[in-house]
Order: sequence, then structure tokens, then C-alpha cells
Amino acid sequence: MRLLTHNTLRNSSQKAKGEGFPLKITATEIRVEEAPVLTEDEQQLSFVKGILGMLDWSALVKAASEMGLENALPPMLTEDLVKDEDFLRALFHVLMNVHLVNGILTCPVTGREFPVMDGIPNMMLEEEECEAVRI
Amino acid sequence: KYDSASRMIGIQREITDRAIELLRLDSSKPSFILDIGCGSGLSGQVLEEHGHVWVGCDVSRDMLTVANERLTRQPKEDAKMLDEDDEEDEEENPSTGDLMHHDMGTGLPFRPATFDACISISALQWLCYSNAKNQIPKKRLVRFFSSLYTVLRRGGRAVLQFYPETAEQAILISECAAKVGFAGGIVVDYPNSAKAKKHYLVLSFDKAQKQPQGLTDASLLHNSTGVRVDSEEKSQKRRPVRKKKGVKTKEWIIHKKETQRRRGKEVRPDTKYTARRRPHKF
Repeated sequence: MRLLTHNTLRNSSQKAKGEGFPLKITATEIRVEEAPVLTEDEQQLSFVKGILGMLDWSALVKAASEMGLENALPPMLTEDLVKDEDFLRALFHVLMNVHLVNGILTCPVTGREFPVMDGIPNMMLEEEECEAVRI
Repeated sequence: KYDSASRMIGIQREITDRAIELLRLDSSKPSFILDIGCGSGLSGQVLEEHGHVWVGCDVSRDMLTVANERLTRQPKEDAKMLDEDDEEDEEENPSTGDLMHHDMGTGLPFRPATFDACISISALQWLCYSNAKNQIPKKRLVRFFSSLYTVLRRGGRAVLQFYPETAEQAILISECAAKVGFAGGIVVDYPNSAKAKKHYLVLSFDKAQKQPQGLTDASLLHNSTGVRVDSEEKSQKRRPVRKKKGVKTKEWIIHKKETQRRRGKEVRPDTKYTARRRPHKF
């Protein structure tokens, strides 16, 4: 599970009441890819620019440090940084190439744990845990 | 001749390509796409070939294990079959996909407005069946569509290919999607062929948008048999009709020639002699 995916994940159970984000990472095994994921630099840059508005920056910084990347990212996103292509390339690397292989994700509100095994988080909820639906 | 496994793979690829086409994505940059019911990662691989970044969910741990092997480039038994196109050889890069063990009927566990688009290949119909005593299909469908509405970015689209067992299932699915506020509907490709027929639920946020047309193939009309499940749905194009048994109209012949051209066959050009009655044999 890469940091990009983690930045989008939340605990969608009824108890979390829409606040189950960000999930705290307890990492036991991490993998960092060195090879480029998208072949062209231009593709990487355009992708990062496209999702920049969607990212929750403070959650990303926190998650990166929980994964052992203490000072990889600046605490705040400034306009200058957004225009800096080297920064964007480094951000792409942090988002796409740092994988949680084994560990646990914990909901900040309910404490509910979601195990991660072999890079795959288990987000399965029981029917009783789910949000109520009016049909 | 295909063996059944590689034929299935071929069909799933075709369906995924068509779903991506129906998404009408901005081709200038890679998109961030959610693949629901990603299974063994075949559709995800196609998304990667189109240059996108994706997150796949599936309820089956076993399927995800297979998909994971594909993602982390470990040798697999059926890797040989995919080598036909030399695609594995071209891709030296790690995958752009991520996997998640999750049941779509429980609601998608993502923050609002995170994904540019969503696809689903041959998975949605499973929501119509209860897996446990306390599961109600309609509830799961509404919960799923409601969460999908939330996690898609505004202006994004979802294309979900599925196999409805009955007309009622197709109606239930599209009603639940409409209920949560989605615009769109079902696009049917090859409506007259029992074998080739495919249903795509195409959803967006814009009610003013025109629905894409389903594919049709005039030559398949002759082979259509059996009861049509969706008798309420009409094919988008008015197909040209034969005047009476054995007599082909000019319109029909030109339409058929066009179809053959589209399939890449060699066809004589249309001239003033096209469809003209030939002189009687000596």
C-alpha cells in the first residue's frame, strides 16, 4: 500500500461518524521502490499536479514520518513549492514508491484496527459496523 | 485456436478497453482511477497500459493474492499466455496499482472527491445477491452507489460493466444509482447478440450530458436467437430492414459494407452500381 492510497483511506464505519481519518500507521515492514513507476517525467509531473489539490497534506506528512521518512516532506505546502518541479518529483517518489508491506492501520476516533498484509490492507467491515441506509 | 483461459483474458481486456473508452478521460495526463471488483488484476493491468494510476478493491482474498503477484512481478503459471503481445517484456517498471481487501456493499472507505474516475468489470451484479442473513441487496446497492457518489471528484465518471441475470436486476441497479443522484444509465453493446451483448452502467454528475451510443453490428442480427432480456431498451441506431424475404435494399447493403469496413475487411468502394440488380444470367 503506497502513501498515496493511505492518504485517501478512512474508516467508513458507523461509529467513526465520518471522522475516521487519517488512519495511524504502525509499520512492521516497508519497501521502497527505486525504479520509476510512470515511464516519462512529464507523465509523473502532470499526475502529481493533478492530484495535489486532492491530497490532505498534514495527513501525508504524518504518514510519511510514521513510515520512517522523518523529514522527507515540508510541514506546509507553499505556492513556491508547488511550482518547483524538483519538489514535485520528490513528492511523486514519496507518494508512489514507498510501500507499507506489513503493519496495522488504526482509526483515530474508534481505535478500530485494519491489518495490512503483503501490501494489502484489509478494510472489510461487518454488516453491523456499516453506516445506516434509508431505502 | 484459443484455449478457454486465454480467451477469457482476451474478453476481459476488450471489456476493460471499452469501459476506459466510455470514461472519456482527459488524455493529456494520467488519471487516478478506482477499480471495483478488480479480481486478479487484469483490468488494472489494462489501466496501467493506458498510463493511469489505480487502486483496486476486491472481496476475494484469493483473487487479490493472484493480483498481487502480477503487481510485484513474481513469476506466474499464466505469465506465458500474456507474453503473446510482448507486453510483459516492455514493462520494466513496477506497477502503478494498489490493492485492497474490501466488500463494495459496505461502502467505499475513501475520503470525499479523491478519484478522477471509477471502473468495474463483471463485478456489480454480485451486489444483487445476499451473502449472509443480514444482508439486503437493495441496501448494499444504495450504500455502494452513495459512497461512490461521494468519493468521485466532481466532473468524474464511473463505468461499471456487469452481467444482469434478469431485466429486473438491470433496473434495480440503475434505479439505485439514480436514487443517490447520479446521471446516466445503461449503455448496451451488441443488444441483439446473446453472446456478445454487454451492459455498461455509465454514471456522471451532469444530467445534461448525452449518453454514449452502444455498439451494434448489422451482421450479428442474423444470428440473434432467444429471448431478449431488455425488451424495453431499443437499439440506438435504426437498423435498415430487408424489403421482403431474399431481397436486400440498397440501404441495407451499404450499411453492411460499412460494418465490414469497420471490422477491417476489404470492401469494394460504393459506386452508382452498388446494390443494382445484376443482369440476368445467360
